[in-house]
Amino acid sequence: MADALPETSDVVVVGGGVAGLSTAMQLASRGTSVTVLERERLGNGSTGRAAGLLGQLRGSPAATRMLMDGVEIVTELEERADVEIFVQTGSLRVAQTDERAGEIRDLVEMGRGIGFDIDHLPVDEVSELLPYMRTDDLIDACYCPTDGHLQPAELVAAYLKLGRESGVVYHPGCPVRGLDITENRVRGVITDHGTISTDVVINAAGPWSYLVAGLVDTPLQTAALGHVYLTTRPDDGHPVDRLSPAIRDRHLRIYSRPESGGLIVGMYGADAVQHDMASLPDDFDMSSLTVRADDLHVALLIDATKRRFSWIDERTPMTITRGIMTFSPDGKPFCGRRPDIEGLFHCSGFCGHGIVQSPAIGVIMAELVLDGRTGYDIEAIQADRFFEHPELQDRPDIEAACYQMHAGYYGRIEDGDGSVVEQTGGDGPTA
Amino acid sequence: MSFLVLVPTKRVPDTDGVIRVVPGELDVDTSHLSFVINPFDAIAVEEALRLRERRDDVEVVVVGIGGEAYEDELRTALAMGADRAIRVDAAEPLDPWNVAGILAELARRLGPRLVLMGKQAVDDDSAQTGQFLAAQLGWPQATFASRIDDSEHGAEVARETDYGIETLSVTWPAVITADLRLNEPRYASLPGILAARGKPIEEMSLEELGIEIEPRVELVGLQQVSSQRTGRRLENVTELLQCLRENTELF
Repeated sequence: MADALPETSDVVVVGGGVAGLSTAMQLASRGTSVTVLERERLGNGSTGRAAGLLGQLRGSPAATRMLMDGVEIVTELEERADVEIFVQTGSLRVAQTDERAGEIRDLVEMGRGIGFDIDHLPVDEVSELLPYMRTDDLIDACYCPTDGHLQPAELVAAYLKLGRESGVVYHPGCPVRGLDITENRVRGVITDHGTISTDVVINAAGPWSYLVAGLVDTPLQTAALGHVYLTTRPDDGHPVDRLSPAIRDRHLRIYSRPESGGLIVGMYGADAVQHDMASLPDDFDMSSLTVRADDLHVALLIDATKRRFSWIDERTPMTITRGIMTFSPDGKPFCGRRPDIEGLFHCSGFCGHGIVQSPAIGVIMAELVLDGRTGYDIEAIQADRFFEHPELQDRPDIEAACYQMHAGYYGRIEDGDGSVVEQTGGDGPTA
Repeated sequence: MSFLVLVPTKRVPDTDGVIRVVPGELDVDTSHLSFVINPFDAIAVEEALRLRERRDDVEVVVVGIGGEAYEDELRTALAMGADRAIRVDAAEPLDPWNVAGILAELARRLGPRLVLMGKQAVDDDSAQTGQFLAAQLGWPQATFASRIDDSEHGAEVARETDYGIETLSVTWPAVITADLRLNEPRYASLPGILAARGKPIEEMSLEELGIEIEPRVELVGLQQVSSQRTGRRLENVTELLQCLRENTELF
């Protein structure tokens, strides 16, 4: 560690991923002194492995607004930090069953209702747009020209640059050992390198956030679940344009976007590796999660991939990226304060969507901390929404609920307002 | 008769794992390590599978020499597509000469036309077994292969040397060792993984092979090398020169 820890800080952010970095930047820009404590390296956890897909149209207008505002914030970040973060490729959802076509109809209707640019795209136009994708089994598709992806490394660079300019102090290599709580109020944060006095702690520790909550014997309803995606190398036979649209195929449970002349394809399968974060060493580096040649999740991913992109199979030169996502029981993050401990805020549980939610979430967290309220509708993401839920207090129950949520993440079928019509647990490439 | 390709594989700690020497012992702490097929051997497995895809008479037999734990990695090779797997039960560690002796005896019994293996194992980096094996069998060898063009009677093998790409011609039966750029190993397919679960792994003992281990190399020391690098930011070139003067022998 380069410098000594400050003795006091208005706010201490635990976790140097996008959620913590965005929040720190926003707080500091409003004149607050902020210290970010990161266990390992900044931006190297789930953030460092994310695909960053931005699909703005979500199940609710509130979630959609957050993502649309996020794009505006990113545009400003790009100008101020002089980096390209948002790659506006457009996005496409495809349907090969009546249920999925119904979902697309509802989505288009909802999008238009709030003035979002979305429309059905005839299948022959889909094949023109994406010559490298199989389309003969599709019955409908919808296209959002303003979607795309955020480049995680560039986003982190921008948060850091602007955060530093506003005086944020970053301490990587500094795991948090305890929180000093007196009379139900946060007083400080304890580390191996000393204690920082503070009135506000923001728990943005991603997959580790339930352990941070556990430091003060409180449950946080998140679980750490494994995720894999593949990235193909550039292939002259199947060129992937840099601005090819992102694709979501909920029937096959896969998503895709262009990456450096190749293609990223990831999968929200019915099963996921459950990680016990407490068993990992302090200096655990998520990039050290390697993949065996006979990994079942990779085989399932490749199997689903070749059904949509028939030129890809297990022999295709590719890189497998393995990471850990932070899932919640309802697929939504926890953003806000806990009612029982004054000064403890959670900012975690982004269910694989932390990159794209981080720009607006930073603003929301700063407003909650400094003003006690926010102009955003955060009812769905309140940190205390399971506070008294009797079945979500113990780790095994919480983990089971989060696992269940993940299993249905792409598998379930939703109606227009995002509520689940049908759970299709076995629906997918393995069925 | 089929064209049998024997692919010896070694089980090694995952290359991304952190290797820690057990103080005072001649071993590393394996308790937290995960294991993989030696990456160069995985390249050999892949090349054997491609050879089988090119010609229809190829049978790919993978071999592991060690304890029961080797079966995980042999099963990985089966999932990738190998036809058969054999584990020779032996206590580790073995030096390259003895490994070559075991493989030579297996080769005499199975009659492969080609033994295809990694150029070295990434745990001890000996890079001797393939050469010893060829010598013990009296077969031609082509080591550090970066391309293999096979024909009915043998193969042309490209090797990347410091002077350029060298091409060797060998006749079957031969020993070829694989270098990094020979290919990129595949992932196992879903059907491959399912099929591998049901395949038997044949077991052989050293007694059955009539082999007695006679160690030729003795490991006398194992020392942890620190990989911690410390850096600091310097203000200007003058400071850099000063730093180089103090810490190096460049000036």
